[in-house]
Amino acid sequence: MTSIVVGEGRLAEALRARVTAEMPARVIVPPLVIEPMRVVDLTDDDIDRMWEQPMRTVISELQRAHGDGCRRIVVVVPTIGQSGGAEYAAVSATAEAARVLVKSAARQWGEVDVTVNAVAVAPEVFGIDTAITGPISIAPRALAGEVDPSDTISFLCSAAAGHVTGQTIVCDGGLWM
Amino acid sequence: MNRRGASLAGRVAIVTGAGQGVGEGIARRLAEHGATVIVAARRAETGEPVAASIRSDGGSATCVETDVTKGESIAACVTHTVAEFGRLDIVVHNAFTGAIPHRLENAVLDKHWKGMSLTAGWASLQCAREAHPHLAASSRRPRGEGGGRYVLITSPSGVEGSANIPLYSPAKAAQRAIAKSLAREWGPDGITVNCIAPVAASPSLITAFDRNPALQQAIEARTPLGRVGDITDDIGSVALFLAGDDSSYVTGQTIVCDGGSFLGL
Repeated sequence: MTSIVVGEGRLAEALRARVTAEMPARVIVPPLVIEPMRVVDLTDDDIDRMWEQPMRTVISELQRAHGDGCRRIVVVVPTIGQSGGAEYAAVSATAEAARVLVKSAARQWGEVDVTVNAVAVAPEVFGIDTAITGPISIAPRALAGEVDPSDTISFLCSAAAGHVTGQTIVCDGGLWM
Repeated sequence: MNRRGASLAGRVAIVTGAGQGVGEGIARRLAEHGATVIVAARRAETGEPVAASIRSDGGSATCVETDVTKGESIAACVTHTVAEFGRLDIVVHNAFTGAIPHRLENAVLDKHWKGMSLTAGWASLQCAREAHPHLAASSRRPRGEGGGRYVLITSPSGVEGSANIPLYSPAKAAQRAIAKSLAREWGPDGITVNCIAPVAASPSLITAFDRNPALQQAIEARTPLGRVGDITDDIGSVALFLAGDDSSYVTGQTIVCDGGSFLGL
């Protein structure tokens, strides 16, 4: 059986093992290029690697999910798109663009009963160094312990989530609010 | 020219996409307040009349043909500006193209994404890259004599998504994330980075109103202030605030300037 999770890396692998769906679904983990780099050092090749190519992949994967008849689509992003991060301008741009693209997709595809949502996870889950980005929040994280977003994603892939679309559920233990 | 003050006297500003619309309004307002404005327009046919009009009103402006879809053109504009005027204090990146209504499932990337990606994602990073040393130098000047400012023109759609032009929203969302990231990265240099999300009577919107008067009525009806923004008085004035000394402790923010239509922040 083909996994509903598309993407590479540890996060995608972990989600492949744990996420379940009650109907045709797709979970997209964008291929973010995680390399801290000051904007003055970004070459055009870097912008292409960090912005253009990952965004083209996200758009194409959304189109493919729609074409495959998926009724639940979830895009997983780091909260750095919402918070911004020093030396991660291109990466945060890609993360936030992917997150907001979810809203556009939800607005168009709602008419065919397809839901599209985002789950935002802590930057470290994508390998982003928050010692470089600066603090994600001015407040400490609310909950202790390991965070596993797979149940939240599974919920969004369930029948029960049929009226939830265009949303971002932040699943980081209550750091970004 | 109604010179309302000289709060930007001695400052040099580049405004991309200043040949018309929101960019023109911003250029005019900055010039009214004493800035030397580089009208960075893709075509001199649109940029030069704006610069000439500013000059005839008593302001200081020059047109530099700039195609923000090409990194080398952005670099050349910055280089020319610093060579000609000796400094660069303010960059307002407003130029944008490629917003064509489409269905997301049928979008062709080179047609429906490339232009918006180049002008919003790429150019926002490239303008930052080229301008940073000069904006940092401006911030090293005594207070009141300088202060690096980078302002990006985004859209409410960059927050809430778009049903008509779905790929427009991520392009504009990227700019908000870039502003937040650079606010963090450039804070130690004293440079502020902010966004404006306007709704204004640009030429394209006026054309749309002419074709479809119901559209204007619909926008005005959903807007608490009951009107569409003016490119100079409404949008240019917010840009003036973000470009000047009064906003020196504001960074990483988006000011939605749309008459209260979008209240989602």
